[in-house]
Amino acid sequence: MRRRHHPTANRVIIHVVLLLVLALWMIPEVYMLSIGLRTPEQAFDATLFAWPLTFSNFITVIRDNPLPMFFLNSLIVTLSTVALVVAISSLFAFACAVLNLRGSLTLYATLLTTLMVPLASLVLPLAILLKTFGWVNTYAGLVFPYAALGVPFAVVVLKAFMEDSPKELFEAARVDGCNAWQTYWHVALPLVRPALVFVGIWQFISTWNEFFLALIILTRDEVKTLTIVPMQYSGLYMANPGALFAILTLIALPLILLYVVVQRAFVRGLLAGAVKG
Amino acid sequence: MSAISGRAFEQAPKHYRRFAGPWTYLFLLPAVALFVVFIAYPIVWVLSESFFSEGNDRTSTFVGLDTYLSVLADPVFWIVVRNMLLWGLITVPVQMIIGGTIAYFIERHTDAWRGFFRTMFFLPVVTSVSVISLVWVQIYAPYYGIAQQYLSYFGIEMASSPIGDPSTAIFALIVVNIWQWTGFSMLMYVAGIANLPTEVLDAARVDGARGLRLAWSVIIPMLSPVTKSLLLLGVIGTLQTFPIVQLMTTGGPNHASEVFGTYVFRTSFVLGDTGRGATISVIVLLLALILSVVQIVYFGANLSPSSRKEESA
Repeated sequence: MRRRHHPTANRVIIHVVLLLVLALWMIPEVYMLSIGLRTPEQAFDATLFAWPLTFSNFITVIRDNPLPMFFLNSLIVTLSTVALVVAISSLFAFACAVLNLRGSLTLYATLLTTLMVPLASLVLPLAILLKTFGWVNTYAGLVFPYAALGVPFAVVVLKAFMEDSPKELFEAARVDGCNAWQTYWHVALPLVRPALVFVGIWQFISTWNEFFLALIILTRDEVKTLTIVPMQYSGLYMANPGALFAILTLIALPLILLYVVVQRAFVRGLLAGAVKG
Repeated sequence: MSAISGRAFEQAPKHYRRFAGPWTYLFLLPAVALFVVFIAYPIVWVLSESFFSEGNDRTSTFVGLDTYLSVLADPVFWIVVRNMLLWGLITVPVQMIIGGTIAYFIERHTDAWRGFFRTMFFLPVVTSVSVISLVWVQIYAPYYGIAQQYLSYFGIEMASSPIGDPSTAIFALIVVNIWQWTGFSMLMYVAGIANLPTEVLDAARVDGARGLRLAWSVIIPMLSPVTKSLLLLGVIGTLQTFPIVQLMTTGGPNHASEVFGTYVFRTSFVLGDTGRGATISVIVLLLALILSVVQIVYFGANLSPSSRKEESA
């Protein structure tokens, strides 16, 4: 509807330039896939593409390694964290934005200081704390710290959304005899669904890829998540880059595919969030 | 803080609080519990631990600020500070400029391809950082890596891997960080540009502002909330840099690419010096707090595109 006055030639040029920049930007991803598809003879060729393609690396690494186990570990840790963050942060945001509980804003400001804490300064005390809890090499040892680190950002987003929701709806719920829990469950949560989806997706991405704490807490193979296994494979397949990059592709693929599927909802949440101001 | 909550109470209609009995404080409980156990307690712990030193007989003695002084006297600490400065000063603006430029062209000049570009440029953000690091080690590799091969066409000769050379290692890692996170800046700016009020843009266009001039004098100033949140996120992100460095150089060669993440990791977990590890943790924490507070005081709080509300709260 807009930009009718732009000459078509101009738009074509912009598209071509964007595609060129994108092609350049995608080189590392393409390179990863390309090495994974090479025969051992071509594996060390200093080129982006090499022919012919072979899937034998993928078949070998899938057959020889317990990738589904690492995948499942990542999935359990990530889904638990997302569920915990969405539940806990929406409760907190509701208490601040709708119930206006006395003191809730002071707690909110305190909680926000978490956003200024780099994980690098927390790994040592967390490692010692989790050791005391006996949570080393357990899912809980990752899920709870991740949730604690994730909740504040989620609260910021959800609180802003709830504050912008029509107050009359909450008022009507109260008049109809809903208690706070019913208002939260039947009114607030459905109202901020796009925000919940956005927060959930972002938490999923950051938890799935978290490396620092996972590296310290997970030492046994049975509990390791996908992000920390590439290191051990880089030693194992040092002489066989084809196999190494096949496995790297397989490790990176689930989240990339997931993002492609959910990106529309993610961007919608981001756009809706920005309208808030 | 009390002033903020005080004002909010006045605004809050009384009846909202009435339909909330004391039990509604349970809504706040889980978040507060997580915060106390996994954020506040660890911070208190590192603070207190940083004043003690563990002796050979596993007894702790109070040493006051001695560990701090010894960390500050460590040349590696100052390499870390220099690297972190370089990291923040290069990655944050470069990611903003490239990401913002891409976002501008995607939002203002594409329609059918918009979703495709938005998604593709964001893919590095969702690609596991441990995978990315190993891919870039291969790219940088001498003899069989593609970087030395393709850069030689432009007359740039790389005799060895840039991550193996102390003078270039940190810059080689910064390139990887920029490559991974530019998509994030891009998407934040996309959200900002997509939400610019059309009336203002139309008014500017009527006044004759077109193309670059429109971008420079209207769009960029209006996107300052996004820029501020990217700055804040960039500072914290810089201080928690870890996986790229740990996986590509482990802080080497000879500490040349050491960052706070690897410094804490090496001291605490490789060398097992808890007191010193705690002290470095406290220093990182203090730096993060100071830098964040300075930014919030100067620019206002902007932690997400949706948080413009915070400024008025």
